Amino acid sequence: MSQRTERRGGIHVDQSDLLCKKGCGYYGNAAWQGLCSKCWREEYQRVRQKQIQDDWALAEKLQREEEAAYASSHGPQTQPHPQSTAAQPHPGHASLGPFSKFEEKKTNEKTRKVTTVKKFFSPSSRSAPKKDTQEGKTPSPSMSRRASFDTDQVSKDFVDFLKNLQKPGREIHKQCRAFIVNMSSKKTQDLSADELSECVQDFYQNLADRLMGHFKGSSESVEQVMDQVEKYIMTRLYKSVFCPETTDDEKKDLATQNRIRALHWVTIEMLCVSMDEEIPEVSENVVKAITDVIEMDSKRVPRDKLGCITRCSKQIFSAIKTTKNEPASADDFLPALIYIVLKANPPRLQSNIQYITRFCNPSRLMTGEDGYYFTNLCCAAAFIEKLDAQSLNLSPEEFERYMSGQASPRCNNSEGDWPNADPAPTPINPVLAQLNHNLEVLSGLSSRQESLMEAAQSLQADLLSWPDSVQREVHNILEKYPLEVLSRNVSAIDDNDADNDNLPPPLTPQVFAG
Amino acid sequence: MSAMRVDAKVVMLGKESVGKTSLVERYVHHRFLVGPYQNTIGAAFVAKPIQVGEKVITLGIWDTAGSERYEAMSRIYYRGARAAIVCYDLTDGSSFQRARFWVKELQNCEEHCKIYLCGSKSDLIEGDRSLRQIDFHDAQDFTDEIGALHFETSSKTGNNVDELFQKVAEDYNSTAFQYMTAEETGVDLGQKKDSYFYSCCHNN
Repeated sequence: MSQRTERRGGIHVDQSDLLCKKGCGYYGNAAWQGLCSKCWREEYQRVRQKQIQDDWALAEKLQREEEAAYASSHGPQTQPHPQSTAAQPHPGHASLGPFSKFEEKKTNEKTRKVTTVKKFFSPSSRSAPKKDTQEGKTPSPSMSRRASFDTDQVSKDFVDFLKNLQKPGREIHKQCRAFIVNMSSKKTQDLSADELSECVQDFYQNLADRLMGHFKGSSESVEQVMDQVEKYIMTRLYKSVFCPETTDDEKKDLATQNRIRALHWVTIEMLCVSMDEEIPEVSENVVKAITDVIEMDSKRVPRDKLGCITRCSKQIFSAIKTTKNEPASADDFLPALIYIVLKANPPRLQSNIQYITRFCNPSRLMTGEDGYYFTNLCCAAAFIEKLDAQSLNLSPEEFERYMSGQASPRCNNSEGDWPNADPAPTPINPVLAQLNHNLEVLSGLSSRQESLMEAAQSLQADLLSWPDSVQREVHNILEKYPLEVLSRNVSAIDDNDADNDNLPPPLTPQVFAG
Repeated sequence: MSAMRVDAKVVMLGKESVGKTSLVERYVHHRFLVGPYQNTIGAAFVAKPIQVGEKVITLGIWDTAGSERYEAMSRIYYRGARAAIVCYDLTDGSSFQRARFWVKELQNCEEHCKIYLCGSKSDLIEGDRSLRQIDFHDAQDFTDEIGALHFETSSKTGNNVDELFQKVAEDYNSTAFQYMTAEETGVDLGQKKDSYFYSCCHNN
């Protein structure tokens, strides 16, 4: 190849250079590395096949390493002596690092092939004999579609976590992998969201039961494991099960979003919220609460989403507490949450609610603190959807006027509540103060702008009149001093001008007496 | 706190200002705050461990907003609850009517939920008998009829409050086994679908 390119630099090309390198008699092509099309195809297939086999071997090796890491962590079945526990993270890391890298690299290129490779290793046939959901035969390419950093990180964390669990850890890992393969083999379009949800919930239930029954785990440790399992599984499945196409979640999202936009005029007083936003701490809490509830959309794991809701709720509680100097009750909390949701207009609210409802571990959703706040959020969403004049203590006419944008309650209120606020707006609220300040700056700017405009205009006028004035002046001067052609004395060449020319005086004839 | 494992969900229902929050506050923190905002004290969610025999059961107590404007949403709250404490004000006849309404709702929607009817502010009646609006026997008859339990409590003095929650925990403990066995035989599978409580409210 190299000599060929060298020679190609020259003008003359040998006939032999044009022929196929394999010497089959056909002409070769530079694009096929000097081979003819037939030989090139053969060569290419061979290389490809080899690569596939290499990949296969690598995957197999890594899988064995991974399994060995598990085996070493609980292999001797006896008491785990300290040395082995200390050593176990290392092989784990070593095997995991290249594996995730391998996975990422592969998914970029040959998605199909990798899934088949994975299928080989996924212990779908061996594990969980009682589960009928294990029958997925053809893993679709979609499962390894996302090998983003997030997913890799989560997989890594998950494996690390399971390593501490010895034998059950291995079992859990197997089950989860099998489940993910199985889930992604099902086309999302084929299953309704409820069926997907049921699959996931069944899996949680079965795994939890198994951990409780078979491995005799305490309820706390099982819960801990289930949290990790949920995190792992839902991170992997997020794309395919969040807001699936089979549902009208997206439509509802849009409807809710528009609804909240249309309700922009709802004031804190109408909802009877006991939060005083003029207290700086409270308004800070409100801002944080809004941020938290918006952040919910960016999380993948249901539990993380719940965490956002809980943080948001805590902010609201502290806001109410600051305002009233008392811990808040549900009577205060729910209106405040509704207010926050109205202000935040969280993206994809309905999808998120549905997603959490479908795929969160049910025990947490139904009983725990997170569940309580989530229920309140559902309630707030439902309230906003059904909100009418009565629920805001307004007359239907007023409600209608506000909805159509003909009137704004804020103006009415400010006139009614603070009649003498206008002459001297006392900057109680930092926001208002800022607003006033901005207005002052703006009016200052506009007056300066005006004076600048005036100056510019006078300058323009000046400039326009300047040529005139110059012209006039010139004219005047011309008139004053009309052009007179003075008939100058034409000086003769021989004019006697002895002073001017330094010529020596003409020679005068001198008579020499003689 | 969110890490605390909760065994059973107990939901507080009742008209505004009947003292749901005060009841929880008294039970959990053993205090009663006197002030103009008696209806708005305490936290909305409390997880409280209770010793029952040799076991410790953690009740997750859910306070609800009593205002009528949120009535349509109350079904979201009591979904999955194992016990509901339906409160009414002994000195307020209308609150008892509302309590009847909730009892009916619960019976229709949550068959696993045990109902405890709780007449609050009994200290007021002890001070002045003429304030009583709900006859003890009427309430008792009603609870017998619906198979519930009846308590009259005072969050101010703490009268009967601990007894009420202790009973809730004990009942949960004794029924938990039945419920769990029912779950294992697969009876509960149909129920599971209903646990998508948001979608349910959505459709009603």
